[in-house]
Amino acid sequence: MIKFQNVSLIYPTAQKTILDKLNFEIGEGEFVLLIGETGIGKSSVLRLINGLVPHHTGGILAGSVEVGGISTRTVRPGQLAELIGIVGQNPINGFVTDVVEDELAYSMESLNLPEDTMRKRIEEVLDLLSLNQIRNRKIATLSGGEQQRVAIAAAMVLHPKILVLDEPTSALDPVAAEEVLAILQRLVHDLGITVIIAEHRLERVIGYVDSVIEISADGNTRIGKPEEILKDSKIAPPIVKLARALKLPEISLSVRDLRKQTEPIRTSGKDVSPTQETLGRNVIQTKDLSVKYENKTALKPISLEIKSGEIVALMGRNGAGKSSLIKALLDVVKYEGTITKPSVKIGYIPQDANDLLFHQSVEAECAQTDRDNSLAPGTTAALLHELAATVKIASHPRDLSEGQRLALVLAIVLAPKPDLLILDEPTRGLDYESKTLLTRFLTDRAESGAAVLIATHDVELVAELATRIIILAEGELVADGSTMDVLLASPSFAPQVTKVMSPRKWLTIADVLKAIE
Amino acid sequence: MRTRDIYRFNGFRTIALAAASLISATGFFWPFFSSENKSSFFFWLATPLALILLLALIGQANLDAKSLALLAVLSAIIAALRPLGAGAAGIEPMWFLLILSSFVFGSSFGFLLGVQSMLLSAFLTGGFGPWLPYQIFAAGWIGLLAGAIPKVKRYQIPVIAISSLVLAEIFGILMDLQFWPWAFGPKTQLSYLPGAAIAENFDRFFAYHVATSMAWNVPRAIFTALLIVAVGPGVMKALQRTARKAAFASEIKFN
Amino acid sequence: MRLQNNWLTVAVIALTTLIVTKYKSDGPWADSYKWALKLAALVIGIRVLIGVIIGVPVPGTELFNLPLIPLPHWMAGITLGGAVTWERISSTVIESFGIASIIALFGAATALTNPRALLRAVPPMFYEVAMVLVIATTLTPQLVSNLKRIRVAQKLRGINTNRFLSWRQIAMPLLEDSLARALDLAAAMDSRGYGVSRKRSKYRPHKFQIKDAVVIASSLAFLAVSI
Repeated sequence: MIKFQNVSLIYPTAQKTILDKLNFEIGEGEFVLLIGETGIGKSSVLRLINGLVPHHTGGILAGSVEVGGISTRTVRPGQLAELIGIVGQNPINGFVTDVVEDELAYSMESLNLPEDTMRKRIEEVLDLLSLNQIRNRKIATLSGGEQQRVAIAAAMVLHPKILVLDEPTSALDPVAAEEVLAILQRLVHDLGITVIIAEHRLERVIGYVDSVIEISADGNTRIGKPEEILKDSKIAPPIVKLARALKLPEISLSVRDLRKQTEPIRTSGKDVSPTQETLGRNVIQTKDLSVKYENKTALKPISLEIKSGEIVALMGRNGAGKSSLIKALLDVVKYEGTITKPSVKIGYIPQDANDLLFHQSVEAECAQTDRDNSLAPGTTAALLHELAATVKIASHPRDLSEGQRLALVLAIVLAPKPDLLILDEPTRGLDYESKTLLTRFLTDRAESGAAVLIATHDVELVAELATRIIILAEGELVADGSTMDVLLASPSFAPQVTKVMSPRKWLTIADVLKAIE
Repeated sequence: MRTRDIYRFNGFRTIALAAASLISATGFFWPFFSSENKSSFFFWLATPLALILLLALIGQANLDAKSLALLAVLSAIIAALRPLGAGAAGIEPMWFLLILSSFVFGSSFGFLLGVQSMLLSAFLTGGFGPWLPYQIFAAGWIGLLAGAIPKVKRYQIPVIAISSLVLAEIFGILMDLQFWPWAFGPKTQLSYLPGAAIAENFDRFFAYHVATSMAWNVPRAIFTALLIVAVGPGVMKALQRTARKAAFASEIKFN
Repeated sequence: MRLQNNWLTVAVIALTTLIVTKYKSDGPWADSYKWALKLAALVIGIRVLIGVIIGVPVPGTELFNLPLIPLPHWMAGITLGGAVTWERISSTVIESFGIASIIALFGAATALTNPRALLRAVPPMFYEVAMVLVIATTLTPQLVSNLKRIRVAQKLRGINTNRFLSWRQIAMPLLEDSLARALDLAAAMDSRGYGVSRKRSKYRPHKFQIKDAVVIASSLAFLAVSI
């Protein structure tokens, strides 16, 4: 269905090639996962499939890309719209109208499809993606998962044979991610659509896909069954890394399979006691804190305290009150109750790191931070270098990769040494390597006395990083305890390692290794 | 082979738009040339009709997606900026962005941007009135002219700032021309005199213009120039960066 | 003839007010008529003010007297002030009826229209103009929410004592973000087939109703009368 032959790509303004002699073939009806570090060219590969590269972006392309027998040399991307549907990283940026039904119609109107065909297809697609209830809603009011489904629907309405999605689940909470992946699987198995996705967080996706394409830093591509590729790929989900760490003969992709292989370890391993952290004073304390908006209570009265040295994970579904809690702690929303923060400096990293940046160069951003906080000139830049040595200080902040941008934002926010650091979903779009860096860095900071509050859906990150977990649901505090206790108490929140090793109380690979020493 | 360039008017469209602009111009300048006792039907309708012609010309212009998207985004920001300053004496933040966008993306784009911004502004507020065609053309011409600001190696921002003073003054003149027959009845000392010599009417208009300049035109010009000096460098870099990333007229080669 | 024309205008406005009150659309333009009437009153007021200050004297019952201030020759040698007569004021008001009624009619037409329906009903001749409007109106609420978000982030990054600079801190990310979105949008549009077919179909073609014809025909007629 899709054939890449000796594909090399260089963009007109760049010096080096993005892709070098890529070769792979994807058959019809396959569900394919594309993996690789950030910046390696995954988005470029996806865009090569429908011809956006090079017809829309410019570029010098060697080799050939053939889709459904048609070479992308000869056709413009729009002419392939009925063959290939593509959904970008931020689906809301791709919407033209503001109502769901109008958006679905837009694709067909552009191609001059007759009215009754449009009507029929819209009804089909609304059913296919369970969007009928929200067909008249404004897209801006929908949740992330619903928006993703609308984007898929807007592509599916043209009856494409291929669907390409760039990080479809990175912005979604686990439930919404499951829904989207289940839909994609249904498209593949029931309708025979070929689906290609690029993803960082493999643990959610790996169970669904038929084959994996890995693009490595030296330009090589490998394609094969997930078990083959992940056996020695640089990027791997925790379940694979666990198998590798335990030096098992085979890696498994499902919890069930790995459990079978690790039974002896479960029976014989020692218990691992959680490391005792030394906690300091109360950094922030709330008493009966509640947040109300016009017609609803976003946060019911909550009393909690965070001490220095703690890394607290704030978890819960979207809409459970996490952002209201954070906004109240930051004092940007009206709240009732009391918040005690004895002259505490708070650093905040928002969900979209770009919100914090406004200069034209990394250097200027660092200098600004130094000035704003009366630090010695060069402090922030030095911190940045520690976090990510590869960042060139003359580059434009928006040109950085996800991991580099996170490093920059961390440097900016941490240079003034805040007592409390609040992060909102920092791991969207981050590869495993960047997440490890983040974990290590935040742990360091906590050890030197800062407190960290991190709102996240990423259970794996929480298992590695957090000392304590607070779970909110419907505005209420549902759980507040040590990481070990909370994660082990509920199966849906368990990280992969725990799922494999249950009922033993091990959260991370390190725990398991310690247990079998 | 190259990707599509940003939208530029081609030969036919340029002529047609010039014609529409000329017709619209009579709607602005007729007090100087009309010798009718009561204003002619034609002159009142000239600009609105020219507007319809204009919209038809740019409504089927075969805009490429990038130009369209940039037009939509920039006109949204400009239209959002417009009511800031609440109409107070010429404090109008919309012009500096229109001028800078035009400068970076070209005259044709600038013309479209001016037109769309005014249209969108009216659309968002429901503020449709007989003034709208005049404002649309005036903003379009400002966008068009801003694209012609000379590109120099050094002191680019001061050049743009000074040009913006001129452009703001031009807009002020156009707006005053538009208001002139309405704000003044036929029997004030500053009203236009049908049939009078151009010099006589010009005197009257000049006096009227100086009076309004104090209140609107001069502050508008100064405010715009100040904004360009203050935030111009950053905004321009952002626009130029976008122009680069958009890969207009970018090379496509197959080996 | 003049006087009859003016009473006709007044009657037109009264009738329009009735029509608008009954058929007002429920969209965001519903208040346009009210605002248009206020604006029309303002225009009449401005004209009266100007007429009083620099009007040509009209003999009649004098109401009050303004001091005469002759202006220099280069200011067209006009004279401010002078006797203010009832006739001058009333004639100015009556002369302004025309403009006022045009403004009011525009407001009425707007109040009767729903912007969403208008965009859908735009003939293909104006397609690309309408397209820009559609996308821009979709983007505007997003701009507002982005602005709020950025404000929160920047406020917490570090309080900048320079208020003007703090505008820049908010405006620049907003601009950069919006421009980046524009490029994303362009890629999405190209992928979905924008510009491939010169003709476009309409999902919900606006069926011309009698109501629309009545509105259009009557507003044209009123306009003609007013001028």
